[in-house]
Amino acid sequence: MAQLKLSNLAKHFGAAVAVEHVDLEVRDGELVALLGPSGCGKTTTLRMVAGFVEPTAGQILIGGKDVTHAPPYARDTGMVFQSYALFPHMSVAQNVAFGLEMRRMGRAEREQGVLEALKLVKLDHLAERLPRELSGGQQQRVALARALAVNPSVFLLDEPLSNLDAKLRSEVRLQIRSLQQRLGLTTLIVTHDQEEALTMADRLVVMDRGKVLQVGTAEELYERPANAFVAGFVGRCNLISGFVDPGGVFRTDWGGEFAVPQESAPGKAIFALRPERVALRPGTGHGIPGRISAITYLGSLSEYHVDVSGNSFLVSMPPPPNDSPLRCLKIGDQVSLTWDVAAVRLLPFEPSSNQGEEP
Amino acid sequence: MAVLIVPASLLVLGLLVAPMLLMLRISLNQFSPTQMMIEAMSADNYIRAVTDPYYQQVLGTTLGIALLCTLLTLILGFPAAYWLARIESRWKSLITILTLFPLLVGNVVRSAGWMALLGNDGLINATLLWLGIISAPLKLMYTPQAVVIGIIAVVLPYMILTLASVIESIPRSVEEAAANLGARPGTVFRRVVLPLALPGVAAGSILVFVLCMNTYATAILLGGPQFKMMAPAVYDQFIRANNWPFGATLAFILLAITMIFTIVGSIGIARRYKR
Repeated sequence: MAQLKLSNLAKHFGAAVAVEHVDLEVRDGELVALLGPSGCGKTTTLRMVAGFVEPTAGQILIGGKDVTHAPPYARDTGMVFQSYALFPHMSVAQNVAFGLEMRRMGRAEREQGVLEALKLVKLDHLAERLPRELSGGQQQRVALARALAVNPSVFLLDEPLSNLDAKLRSEVRLQIRSLQQRLGLTTLIVTHDQEEALTMADRLVVMDRGKVLQVGTAEELYERPANAFVAGFVGRCNLISGFVDPGGVFRTDWGGEFAVPQESAPGKAIFALRPERVALRPGTGHGIPGRISAITYLGSLSEYHVDVSGNSFLVSMPPPPNDSPLRCLKIGDQVSLTWDVAAVRLLPFEPSSNQGEEP
Repeated sequence: MAVLIVPASLLVLGLLVAPMLLMLRISLNQFSPTQMMIEAMSADNYIRAVTDPYYQQVLGTTLGIALLCTLLTLILGFPAAYWLARIESRWKSLITILTLFPLLVGNVVRSAGWMALLGNDGLINATLLWLGIISAPLKLMYTPQAVVIGIIAVVLPYMILTLASVIESIPRSVEEAAANLGARPGTVFRRVVLPLALPGVAAGSILVFVLCMNTYATAILLGGPQFKMMAPAVYDQFIRANNWPFGATLAFILLAITMIFTIVGSIGIARRYKR
């Protein structure tokens, strides 16, 4: 394993900019997730690392070696494709052995390597099957084994879970993570699923429109998002545009007035507040007044959509106990919203940005 | 729903199977210079066709030309088909149509054009003579090479389009996976693309082989009077010699050899593919 370093990496397709100024370091044994909506450049970035896309500018270093213009076969990366890309005419064992053959490994050593890789994903009993005789989840594990068998310097995963059903996905997520940690694999994973990124990655890279918006741990991104896009993409967030007046009050575009932390600089800003940090009480007079427009019961959580002067506010909390007055709230009821001012974050105002309220 | 195949089946039965059965019957009759045909039930014609060195040679030439042309067409067609299958251009459908373009010109017209190009007074010889590179015209026409080139020009589009449709169904990511695992482009081709394209190789080769075996106009116009292939030989028997029984016999031998090679070839490829 080795570290992976991208510096000032860019890819233009004609006049279209797919990726711009990407600087990133994946440390030895670290799992970093590229997270963003489709078309944000995350897959192009991964494909540049694998060597399938020629960068327009910048540099890619694997273990300190410049591979920016090296062909894919000379890069020593192990990639798991979204479609798995198994060789349909080869058995499971032949698929896994392919990379070892390319490394001119002897037969005995190769068979040993195949067996070890298949044991890693608990598929050694299916070695003689053809890919089409396996379930989707098993095919995915063959793809993992095939990439791991060559003991690559960098492990690349392109949306590896998107073709699995929801239940299997959370299981495989944990399996990949524990394998990655056990083997100390330097890993770059591409995903559009924030939950996947949050549960698997040591650090996350949030991308949008070809640019890296923020790099950090899950907690850093959630608690201290750099901008409204990150706040909206990592977890859910109430995002309200307006400005901070010199008196230290946030005035929304629709005339609302909210208290903000003391040190807030005056000027245009976006007010960000996580739904679980808002408290809700029946009746008026205790805070910001609103009216319930929808209630969603999610088992461990209940979500209340509250209409405040024509703007929707999301409040989430564990379902209230049976004797709570909140229990009888229904659509159309008057409520008031309160929050600790310390939970409020003011984010830079971006007129053109998509605020990504509901990813 | 079965009724849907009735019109096509009737057409095939009436216009293909019935005449073939008639021909089979004719091939067992005997030729008479005065009466043309005498009803008989004899294998004499077949025995003559396979023992006569002349027809052995005609059949050998036909098979040799057909196999060579099929192989060359495959070798020439595969790279073009791969390129056509993999380009991501808005011109792709136009290029596909352009591939078919040579088929818009009939065999006779095309071969006549080749004669104007390759003949002793043709464009190539005239140019080389004028430039002083040669002092006497090169013999380009009426050679087996001219026939091979002429046939390939006709059958290449069939091969390219058949192969391209199969190569298109091979996901790009499978090739990328092989490269990612350390395979150089040549190895990716040999270990991944070619094995997965084998059904297309089989279909294209059979199609082209059948067309080559039955070459008529190209063989006559570019091969000249000394060069004989089976289809012109069948024509000669029916029209020039008026020997219908022997013509029918040659036609059935051509059909049988074509079928045997086609069946053996497809079984061979299917075996490899199943592996």
